[in-house]
Amino acid sequence: MPLEILLVLVVGGITGIAILSHSLGLSKRRAFQSADDAQAAWQREYPSSSVTDVILSQSGYAALIQTRRSIGVVWTMGDDTCARILRSPKIARVKTGLRLRLADYAAPVIKLELSTEETALWAAKLEGQS
Amino acid sequence: MTISYPDVVSLAVPFFIALILIELAWITITKRGGRYETRDAVTSLVMGAGNVASGIVLGFIAWGFFMVLWDITPFDLGHSWWIIALCFVLDDLRYYWVHRFGHKVRWVWASHVNHHSSQHYNLTTALRQTWTYTFTFMMVVRAPLILMGFHPAMVLFCGGLNLIYQFWIHTEAINKLPRWFEAVMNTPSHHRAHHGRNPRYLDCNYAGVLIIWDKMFGSFVPEQDHDKPDYGLVHNIGTFNPLRVAFHEWVGIWRDASKPGLTLKDRLMYCVAPPGWSHDNSRDMADGIKAKHLKRHPEDQGTPGFEHLS
Ligand SMILES: [Zn+2]
Ligand SMILES: [Zn+2]
Repeated sequence: MPLEILLVLVVGGITGIAILSHSLGLSKRRAFQSADDAQAAWQREYPSSSVTDVILSQSGYAALIQTRRSIGVVWTMGDDTCARILRSPKIARVKTGLRLRLADYAAPVIKLELSTEETALWAAKLEGQS
Repeated sequence: MTISYPDVVSLAVPFFIALILIELAWITITKRGGRYETRDAVTSLVMGAGNVASGIVLGFIAWGFFMVLWDITPFDLGHSWWIIALCFVLDDLRYYWVHRFGHKVRWVWASHVNHHSSQHYNLTTALRQTWTYTFTFMMVVRAPLILMGFHPAMVLFCGGLNLIYQFWIHTEAINKLPRWFEAVMNTPSHHRAHHGRNPRYLDCNYAGVLIIWDKMFGSFVPEQDHDKPDYGLVHNIGTFNPLRVAFHEWVGIWRDASKPGLTLKDRLMYCVAPPGWSHDNSRDMADGIKAKHLKRHPEDQGTPGFEHLS
């Protein structure tokens, strides 16, 4: 197959499927329905960890997880979830909440959409002040 | 004599697109048979395009290696249809072992991991293919085929057909096929189990086309109705960035192997030991994950996927 035709097919195919999927409403970000929902997503990543506290954000897009040994965040990305135990992340306050930078090539940034009060609480917890 | 085999994977691209549209329509209309999410699907498709591109750029390395072998070998089995059929079956056996190494040797896993990095399982997942296969050196597993007298072009043709076969099994829209078919062939059901991150399904069903290899070599685990595959990696990635998807495990190997204070053997083990190996036993490999699961769920003892653990 000539390279130009292959290129047109590939680029056209990807663009077409992306537009179709988006217009079918399949780009909507998942939100956790409850603290239990968020904890289940955490436990899916860390089945052996014993969770002591779950703070679900008002947006439902993330939850702060306190376990017996550590602190972590579980969040949604697209229709999926991801979770990480946090060891000294770089925390930056941004307009929409917090932005965490992790030394993790496969999960370099977590954007947390938080209200002003939530931002203060989460930052304090993450910085280990409370 | 010049022989030419069609570039089947490129020719199949329109067919890939058409089937994805049909699956998407099916899921939208019936509200079952799987799920799609835009960024996940686009990432998978971009990985597929990058795989084709990397083949165009780096394919000459494997091809050159195969042609050297072809010059050395005194055998030439010709191009009759039954030789092609035999080549297809033997290349499927080759696929089984390369795929098994892909899950048991971290160096090869670094390339294969991205095929498993989606938390979805639909036809776009099939196209989420590696960009770094050349660097695994797994082309050597094809050496015996070429030395036996199968022409390199024929071997690549069979490999292409194998890849195309595996496309349609990446779907939740098909549950189980007739029993005789499930017994011999790799199917959506068997391959769903392969993509499961559930402890039960770790390291099972490496088949390309024929599931008989898993049954022969003891890696077959049938999909269980009560243990629905949870797709993705044991430790899921938190990004849709194709570059990070393609290279994250290579970066992981580098970071582990270059840690200060390790012996040379530790560094080597970080490259070639099974995924999850660590010099201080701080991580779990597949059997460790299965054993921990059995502690939490003793009722699963002796059931498929746990039989080898007492
Ligand atoms: Zn695999
Ligand atoms: Zn697959």
